[in-house]
Amino acid sequence: MNKRNADLISPIHARISIVTIAIVLLSVQAGCDASKTSSGTADASKPGLSEPSKSGGAGLTKVTLQLNWFPEVEHGGYYAALVHGYYMEVGLDVTILPGGPETPVLQQVARQAVTFGIINADNILFGQAQEVPAVAVMAALQTSPRCLIVHESSGIRNFEELKNMTIAMSTSAAFSHYLQWKVPLTGVEIVPYSGNVAQFLLNKNYAQQGYVFSEPFVARKQGGDPRVLMLADLGFNPYTSLLFTDRVRIDGEPDLVRKMVAASVRGWKHYIEAPDKTNEYIHQVNPEMDLDILAFGAKTLAPLVQNTTDPQPLGAMSLARWKTLADQLTESGQLKPNAVQVERAFTTSFLPSP
Amino acid sequence: MTYGQVTKVSRWLLEHALPPLVFFAIVLSAWQAATMFWKIPVYLVPAPARVLEAAQGHASELISATQLTAGGALCGFLLSLITGTVLGLIFSQSKIIQRSIYPYAIFLQTVPIVALAPLVINWFGTGFGSVVVVSFILSLFPIVTNATAGLTTVEPQLIELFQIHNASRWQELLKLRLPNAVPSLVTGMKISCGLSVIGAIVGEIFAGYGTQRYGLGYLITLTTGKLETAYAFAAVLCSTLLSVAIFVTVNLIGSSILARWHVSEPGGSNTTSE
Repeated sequence: MNKRNADLISPIHARISIVTIAIVLLSVQAGCDASKTSSGTADASKPGLSEPSKSGGAGLTKVTLQLNWFPEVEHGGYYAALVHGYYMEVGLDVTILPGGPETPVLQQVARQAVTFGIINADNILFGQAQEVPAVAVMAALQTSPRCLIVHESSGIRNFEELKNMTIAMSTSAAFSHYLQWKVPLTGVEIVPYSGNVAQFLLNKNYAQQGYVFSEPFVARKQGGDPRVLMLADLGFNPYTSLLFTDRVRIDGEPDLVRKMVAASVRGWKHYIEAPDKTNEYIHQVNPEMDLDILAFGAKTLAPLVQNTTDPQPLGAMSLARWKTLADQLTESGQLKPNAVQVERAFTTSFLPSP
Repeated sequence: MTYGQVTKVSRWLLEHALPPLVFFAIVLSAWQAATMFWKIPVYLVPAPARVLEAAQGHASELISATQLTAGGALCGFLLSLITGTVLGLIFSQSKIIQRSIYPYAIFLQTVPIVALAPLVINWFGTGFGSVVVVSFILSLFPIVTNATAGLTTVEPQLIELFQIHNASRWQELLKLRLPNAVPSLVTGMKISCGLSVIGAIVGEIFAGYGTQRYGLGYLITLTTGKLETAYAFAAVLCSTLLSVAIFVTVNLIGSSILARWHVSEPGGSNTTSE
């Protein structure tokens, strides 16, 4: 009995370690699959839909554009350039790849798996600190749409009044670290953002992160009383929905980059004037976004793209603003001092002359 | 220690500790060489030296995060152990309860925890509680299934023997079924403890603790978000070491229980036979 059991045990031991390895492998696999499907499902909805850029084909240069999120209004101008054939007019056959949470946009562009990417200015600097040779070539949104929403009934009108409450926001995002560094937030409990406004609607003593053209609309539609506090008013204002590519392409194919930027700027100009046709296309590729929220979004977005009080040419970027952002990220402990060279993070040389 | 014991120990080390260490060194060298040879950028695959550098630079953060994650994982694991064993006991006592509930236990095995975790946060709030719940959900199944198997698969002759001697149900459970279940329960614990760490990290990714204290799950999302891949590797390494530490501890506890309750653990029987 003793001997037989001893013999039995060792294969069990072997099996346990195999099982552990299998579990680890499976969980790693599962992680990979999850990230794949998040972009994959959004992608799968594309075939069969009307593809405005499909005709022609001959003589066009194939270009891929990786988004940082599911197709939304913050990508509107790029979709407008696609829908209205501006990319085709300059000889580019552009495919826009939807993103999602955890889409590795910077890495995809840096290893040249895609030609261009859409991302926000803080990501470009974080990437540069890790030796990613990413260069922004145009800034779609001059004003960051990032906001907190509070209840109107709370009477809170500015960030300093955020006290003794719960704030739901991404604990890893740059704006969240900056806010915590900048504002005392006495007695505030910070909890991760769950991705929907359910808790906000339930809890009166609660604020949460949002994009000004999305969460406030949803909260109001559900009967809430959101008031918007813009992070940009606090001074934290990274360029948003930047078009960027890698340095090798900037040096090697400047003509391609120039064409892409010119057509994208044209697309954005069209989108803030007349977004309806583009919104219908965005709704097709991302049915989650209904036409009413897209219409609201495009209207809210227009002043962020083209600031009427301080008019800038569409797509413009300034060294001063990039420096401010780098300083803010350094002050709030998110970048090591002198970790980035902002001059290398962007170039305005591809923007069309006004 | 006698000379004989010393040679025995060194021989054991030579046979068991040396091969994995040599393999580890080969893998590390190949990894380092590959990153240098192909000039792989640090944000894609950091060289081991860069991972080490990141680990040293962030040692205090990594240690406190590992402690917090360890707390969540151990609580989830202990909860699983208790709940799983109790469920196993109930299942072993009533065929009808087992038949009604056991299929649902299998759901736990197939539940996509990544999808469920955000809901757990909605139900249990953010913070430590939710982390423990996710860890518990993920680590419960191996305990339930192994405890049930161990308690129910008893040699029929032994049950007959107990019945011949007019043993009560209670005696049968305590003196026959429970000792019989120990080896499979230990097996379940060994599988489950690793899962509890994975569960705690998944829980932390979604639940977090706010920003004052944070676990490895938060560190992993934070660092991958900022492309600090070397730091992220260091955090993943910490979670792996944590899993190994818990596994070794469970293994040692398991061996000593088996040596006492059961004469079948190879370590225990070897020493007595030699």
